[in-house]
Amino acid sequence: MIKKIYLIGNPNVGKSVVFSRLTGVNVVSSNYPGTTVEISKGFLKLNEDRIEVIDLPGTYSLEPTSRAEEVAVSILNDSVKEEMVVINILDSTNLERNLLLTLQLIEAGFPVMACLNMCDDAGHRGIHIDVDKLENILQIPVISTCAITGRGIRMLTERLPQAHPAARGALSNEDRWKEIGRIVESVQRLEHRHHTLREMVEDASVRPLAGFFIAACVLYASFKIVRFIGESIINKITDPFFLGIYQPMLEKLTSSLDKKGFLFHLLIGDLVGGTIDFKQSLGVLTTAPYIEFGMVLPYIISFYLVLSALEDIGYLPRLAILLDNLLHRIGLHGFAVIPVLLGFGCNVPGILATRALESKRERFIASTIISIGIPCVPLQAMIFGLLGAFGGFYVAGVYLTLFFIILVLGIALNRIVPGYSPEFLLEIPPYRFPPIGALIKKLYLRVRGFLIEAVPVVLGGVLLVNVLLYFKLFDLVTAISAPVIQGLFGLPKEAVVALVIGFIRKDVAVGMLMPLGLSVKQLFIGTTLLAISFPCIATFIVIWKELGLKDLAKSTFIMMIISLIVGTALNFLILR
Amino acid sequence: MKKCSLVQLKPDNRARVAEIHGGDNLRNRLMSMGIYKGKELVKLSHIGLRGPVVVKIGRGILALGHGVAAKIILEHE
Repeated sequence: MIKKIYLIGNPNVGKSVVFSRLTGVNVVSSNYPGTTVEISKGFLKLNEDRIEVIDLPGTYSLEPTSRAEEVAVSILNDSVKEEMVVINILDSTNLERNLLLTLQLIEAGFPVMACLNMCDDAGHRGIHIDVDKLENILQIPVISTCAITGRGIRMLTERLPQAHPAARGALSNEDRWKEIGRIVESVQRLEHRHHTLREMVEDASVRPLAGFFIAACVLYASFKIVRFIGESIINKITDPFFLGIYQPMLEKLTSSLDKKGFLFHLLIGDLVGGTIDFKQSLGVLTTAPYIEFGMVLPYIISFYLVLSALEDIGYLPRLAILLDNLLHRIGLHGFAVIPVLLGFGCNVPGILATRALESKRERFIASTIISIGIPCVPLQAMIFGLLGAFGGFYVAGVYLTLFFIILVLGIALNRIVPGYSPEFLLEIPPYRFPPIGALIKKLYLRVRGFLIEAVPVVLGGVLLVNVLLYFKLFDLVTAISAPVIQGLFGLPKEAVVALVIGFIRKDVAVGMLMPLGLSVKQLFIGTTLLAISFPCIATFIVIWKELGLKDLAKSTFIMMIISLIVGTALNFLILR
Repeated sequence: MKKCSLVQLKPDNRARVAEIHGGDNLRNRLMSMGIYKGKELVKLSHIGLRGPVVVKIGRGILALGHGVAAKIILEHE
């Protein structure tokens, strides 16, 4: 009786795609090792039974060498062998390296079946595997699949009951590799091919000169595309909707309300020049939806579209190689570029992705840098929306300031934080071009995740602020903090409300700055401080959960010191 | 037969792993990724002065930090 199915395999062989196919549960998958840092569970309906399917983080062997691998192996060892099936997923394009784990699993006595995934890609590359012969040698069911299109998945579920422990004596790893050499020799046939264009680009992107040139082009193009798509959505879709349809409708509906009343204040906010100003009115029905849907959502869509494409193609590990040198100076190694890039979308998944880094020290440094120096999309969208009006020069200034902070902070942390940072050891996947449908689905998952998390908080946040402002409950905080906010940072003392709200959500916080009528300099300082200071509550909680209270306290302390120094320095020295 | 470390090997050259200087931990990690004594590999590139080394091994591509690469001793023609 099968109760559980475990999916195990080397990193980046498509376990999560197989998982989604089997269970219908959607999980994010990308083309780099270590996308899955959490264990996902779902159910497969087979005949009348519901079987639990567990997607484990990738591992190269049953003798774990990193935290994620340890988790995978210990879960496997803790379950009852009679009630489970292990589906070992292999990358058909790299059979040799994948078979080590397969042999280990068989030798350990697990009921295993092998799933040769990405068989279509293997075909394109002229790799032919004799599945029947492999099945004979290994004495376990072997099925070739292409999970991204769904090919072979049915066969996989049909043959589940055939998975039985196979007899195979335990070998040493050296002997296993020799055995694997013999197996691969007899089941794999390679067509001789000339280098394809794809392979030439794959090669060029890891060579020093060509690599940096390609990286510069890719990053520049990504940035331009994100801006182009974001602005197009705003100019062609959301702004016409808000100004042309939503505003007249809202004005009609609320015309009977008393313009000085509490309800009007909550829903619409203050009128600017007699009409609703979506950027300044600050009402639950005006500024709140405009910030989320009219300013942030377009950039969420464009950012995740471009990031998802880069992830699926497999460019990011190549970027990791090129930046390894630089990141070593700040106590990290090349792979950290992936959590950092994810952090530009939202700090929370960025900090979760640091689980793929080996040491606690690296995780602390990376998480601190992400929460202090990396602005998320909602914040960036607001910075562009607000400061962009004064010219790109100021926007670039904020990024430069943040980059400088990361550099100084990283170098300092690298000196101070005890422990060592392990060496870089990363598999570089081939470029892949997944179907556009897969890309759209991933984008949909991420945008939906954003909407579910952000919308209630934004509406609730604006509501709360409006109530507090109406009853003048912020006055005490404003008075206490005035010396710092006004004296050191040169901001009007009401700006403290924005900094406090930044703890709830950054985009709403920048929204609070909008009605204050700040000068360019004040706006620059305000947005930079919002980027550095208190990470929003979601980031706060995730650092707490991932690193513990002590590290959260350290991280927060560092953040407060930096905010004070940077705010004061910008005010008195740099922007005089 | 000449010996050199993976750092010293010139890009686009093929060589065989002769020994790995390092603890069991490193050796096991490399072993599970397919780098072990006797295995043939091709060095693809070397990024910067102390940057990572990229090698082709079997059908896969691996990037190794400079420190690791220095511990892998190769023999070649």
